[in-house]
Amino acid sequence: MNERNRPEEAMPEEPLNIEELAGEYVLGTLNNDLRDQVRQRLPHEPALRAAVDAWEARLLPLAQRQAPVQPSAGLWQRIERSLDGAAPQPIPIWWNRVGLWRTLAGAGLAATLVLGAMLLNVSRVATAPTYVVVLIGPQDKAPGWVVQANARQEIQLIPLHDSEVPADRSLQFWTKADSWQGPVSLGLVQPGQRVEVPLDKLPPLENNQLFELTLEPRNGSTTGKPTGPIQFIGRAVKVI
Amino acid sequence: MANPCAWSTLRSEPFRFHLRWRSVLSLPENPFDYDLALQGCARGDRRALQGLYEHEGGRLLAVAKRIVGDTALAEDIVHDAFVRIWTRAASFDPQRGSARGWLFSVTRHLALNHVRRHARLQPLADQDLDAMVVDEPASLAIGGAHIDGCLEQLEPTRRQCLYHAYLDGYSHAEIAHKLDTPLGTVKAWIKRSLAALRECMG
Repeated sequence: MNERNRPEEAMPEEPLNIEELAGEYVLGTLNNDLRDQVRQRLPHEPALRAAVDAWEARLLPLAQRQAPVQPSAGLWQRIERSLDGAAPQPIPIWWNRVGLWRTLAGAGLAATLVLGAMLLNVSRVATAPTYVVVLIGPQDKAPGWVVQANARQEIQLIPLHDSEVPADRSLQFWTKADSWQGPVSLGLVQPGQRVEVPLDKLPPLENNQLFELTLEPRNGSTTGKPTGPIQFIGRAVKVI
Repeated sequence: MANPCAWSTLRSEPFRFHLRWRSVLSLPENPFDYDLALQGCARGDRRALQGLYEHEGGRLLAVAKRIVGDTALAEDIVHDAFVRIWTRAASFDPQRGSARGWLFSVTRHLALNHVRRHARLQPLADQDLDAMVVDEPASLAIGGAHIDGCLEQLEPTRRQCLYHAYLDGYSHAEIAHKLDTPLGTVKAWIKRSLAALRECMG
């Protein structure tokens, strides 16, 4: 028997803690199953994501210092052709983005019909909202929040399900009408919690007015404009 | 589509060469702004993506080639990486890391995915240990002094394990085979080396 094989191979392998998992994920030594698991956990686990980011940053100098290899002459043209084809459009600054709005218009219309139908039953007694917005995730297009706004210039932001953000980040709520230069902050929002926001400092709500939630530093964007990735986005549809 | 910037690229070659040396020497004023270029991509500006390609395409190709072991395949990886950089530029979050690092990370993981799911084109035996030595001296590397100091504190063989894994994309089993060392030993070395590296680098 080969003596070298004895000590460590006989030991059962202990599960990796988050730091070890992140380190070996970035290093590339996880098996396929674990690798896939990490990838699936990353969007939901801020601690794991932070550990992975730290490992990427630690090891990066090793990758960056490799001597360049000259790509073949046609590679850039090949990349460009692929941008023409199957590649989805990138997400530009959200209030200028046309492609997403086509999808959103459909989602908004569907929501209008559903909520409108509901309102037919209840609006006789309640104060009728005049606008509805469904906020959807830009990647999975899944609805996450609904905004309803009534004539008194107050809006309710209602979560459709629980969500979480990294411990050191916050969700910030923004709106922008078509004629405005840029979005205006409506404040920070707790994931999964309903919030009511007065709009008395703003012009009256408009049809097509845009709303979004972005991931920002814990105390909100420091620039007064959205800086982090869009989590949810939608446009106002007049209901009544 | 013809490359619209080919002419200007040619004209600016001496200038760019100069810049490359400045960046290698870690001078602070490297004028290429990776964050700005990614923001350009997110707005659909192809020149921004082309700028990234011109600045990093060769290095990203080197990273991919070292992992997949074949230039044509590595170009496929770089192609996929740039398409992904283009489509995901808007989701890049500068608070999670540098824009430049993100390019490398996207490319490396695509190359790793490939070698984990397909057989390597180049047999391991074709690369000898000498080729695993990091290509540029630490003093010329960009921001690498910190990690080099910490790597030097590891035993050379254990350091090689990390190079094989990170730069060559080798699995535990491939490293064990390469170094003719039991698999369990290699796993333990890597685990401890990562812990030591983290302790040293913070």
